[in-house]
Amino acid sequence: MDNVSLNIGHFYPDLLNLYGDRGNVLALYTRAKRRGIDVNIREITIGDTLDPSSVDIAFLGGGQDNEQNILKDDLVRSKGPVIKEMIESGKVFLCICGGYQMLGRYYLEHNGNRLECLGAIDIYTEGKKERFIQDTIYEIELSDGKKVKVAGFENHSGRTYLGDTVKPFMKVIRGAGNNGEDGYEGARYKNCFCTYSHGSFLPKNAAVTDLLLKTALRNKYGEDYELPYLSSEAEDLALRQALEYLNG
Amino acid sequence: MRRALARSAAKTVKFILRILGRGATTLPGKVALRIDPAIISKEAEGKFIITVTGTNGKTTTSHMISEMISSFDGYEVINNISGANLASGIATTLICEKKKDSKKLIYVLETDEAAFAKIAGSLNPKISVVTNLFRDQLDRYGELTHTRDLISSGIGNTTARLIINSDDSLVASLGKGREGRSIFFGMSKDSMKFNNDTYPSRKGVLRASSDAVFCPECKVRYEYRSRSFGHLGDFFCPSCGFKSPENTYSVIYDLKESPSNEGYRFSIDHNGDIRELSLVIPGMHNLYNTCAAVSAVTEMLKLSGETDVFEKACEASSKVKPAFGRMEKIPLQDNKKLCILLVKNPAGLDRSLSFVSEAKDAKALMFLLNSNTADGKDVSWIWDVDFESKVTSFPEKIYVSGERYGDMLLRVNYSGVDTEKIEYAPMNEAVDLLKKAISECEEGGCVYVLPNYTAMLDLRGKLVNELGIKDFWK
Repeated sequence: MDNVSLNIGHFYPDLLNLYGDRGNVLALYTRAKRRGIDVNIREITIGDTLDPSSVDIAFLGGGQDNEQNILKDDLVRSKGPVIKEMIESGKVFLCICGGYQMLGRYYLEHNGNRLECLGAIDIYTEGKKERFIQDTIYEIELSDGKKVKVAGFENHSGRTYLGDTVKPFMKVIRGAGNNGEDGYEGARYKNCFCTYSHGSFLPKNAAVTDLLLKTALRNKYGEDYELPYLSSEAEDLALRQALEYLNG
Repeated sequence: MRRALARSAAKTVKFILRILGRGATTLPGKVALRIDPAIISKEAEGKFIITVTGTNGKTTTSHMISEMISSFDGYEVINNISGANLASGIATTLICEKKKDSKKLIYVLETDEAAFAKIAGSLNPKISVVTNLFRDQLDRYGELTHTRDLISSGIGNTTARLIINSDDSLVASLGKGREGRSIFFGMSKDSMKFNNDTYPSRKGVLRASSDAVFCPECKVRYEYRSRSFGHLGDFFCPSCGFKSPENTYSVIYDLKESPSNEGYRFSIDHNGDIRELSLVIPGMHNLYNTCAAVSAVTEMLKLSGETDVFEKACEASSKVKPAFGRMEKIPLQDNKKLCILLVKNPAGLDRSLSFVSEAKDAKALMFLLNSNTADGKDVSWIWDVDFESKVTSFPEKIYVSGERYGDMLLRVNYSGVDTEKIEYAPMNEAVDLLKKAISECEEGGCVYVLPNYTAMLDLRGKLVNELGIKDFWK
């Protein structure tokens, strides 16, 4: 197929850019570009109108409290209905940490204050004083049934719980995961993938990057679309070394 | 009584540690603080203290101030060295360091941001410098606005003259309500505009992750008339009107030549008195550090009743030599050089990459990435930095090591360098890799090494033995 193109919508890059979240956009860009795909990165921030047809993969990172408070109205009120529609129609989303929490129903602060969130996916989060800050290892099952290890880093005080319509994204091998209780990390609803993992998450985990690329391009070009082969030698070496470091 | 006990305990601990060949830069103070928690204010009383805090440039700026003051007849300096900048290191310095009484003694204390909040009141410095605020190891320091508030509460407990960066919105806001004692330094606004218009900067695929984009009070995006780097520039809030204040000390510069090269010429304008200087420690960010140091030294001389104060400070700035691990060029055989640039956070790495990509003598670049507690356990921060716009100007030879070499290798690879062109090795082979880099470096060239904190300490310790480089606490 000629002239395959991919539009990455980078949401609030000036406000949601903690802990190397930018690396995820760079990973999607790099692994698409190296396959000869035309890649467009569009910054979508406060005040911008959101055209769903201009976004094939949407990315929302995490932010500091101060920054997240600034954008909340714009996300929930202005862009909220369009984002919900996009997720329902199967558009690919990757949401990290604060981005993950804000897509949910609400965030209950540890002082009892309840912050209403977007409600695009059926999850809710409770804030606790103790933060989970550590290197993490997860396991993810790919569409062909293959299970691969994924390395990351978590840094969150929120405990997230999933509703019935939402599946966990990964299984925790090391780390706390969603809530430190149920052994799962992140959430998947349709093609909306959410996780607490920084790291950055995608660069070391090429299998996940490719899963997102494949899903987005099949959305766009039909189920027959095959993602061209691309070596993941550098990514695999980084993953292997990170796993060795953590187990060493 | 308590104070006397605390003092003698600290001195004994220091004596023993020194016999054991250790640095003894913090433990004596820790012991003293245990015995007498009020020891810092007791020791600081009556002393002329200058504090330097902020995310980046603390060590370089305090070092410049110290060297400049030491060059004056009749003045002596005591400072805390090699990053011993928490309460324990400062207590150690105040108790254990001695000089002859005949000269006027100035204490120059580099102070960690969080420690500053706690001890600024006890120190009650005469002059307090705040360099800049950038995201640091967030898993250790927390949010940037929180760090700013900590510094503000520390300043609130002092009567110090404030030397603050006008181009950093977070730092400049420390002057609000403190107009009478705030002295601003930064880039000349006209000069910054001229450079932005004349030499537009290269753009990468993605902007670097930026800090302090919005006015914290109005939640409105700051606008800029011009910028220097990061979030530093001539900002203003279109809602409340808060803007980059007018400078008392302004850097006039021209990027026709790069400040990454030695002998870069620039000027500082102090109320219309304009003096030309040569940049002794290279790097665009050192224009800020030099200006901060000249400001602090000028103000110190004023408070001490001297004359021709600005002229003296400018002259002294030309005699400064680099500090430990900061832009220090170590001469090697065959006219080769080794330069270690400590990088601890995204802004520091961004500046160092920019520096190396502009340095004419850069023939090799080596990265060392660790993730111990002192570095921050999270290596994600390397992805916040814009490598992409600088990669085409990197030296051809790139080497990667450190306990997290895999992460750094991939970071460099994703910026557009083939993995085959990068040599890498685990941390226990870092010295061998560095020796290889040096031997492959062409004559007259410089090998630039960018380690983060524990990687630098580790490498430095080994280099002391292998290359006969001086010990850092001397």
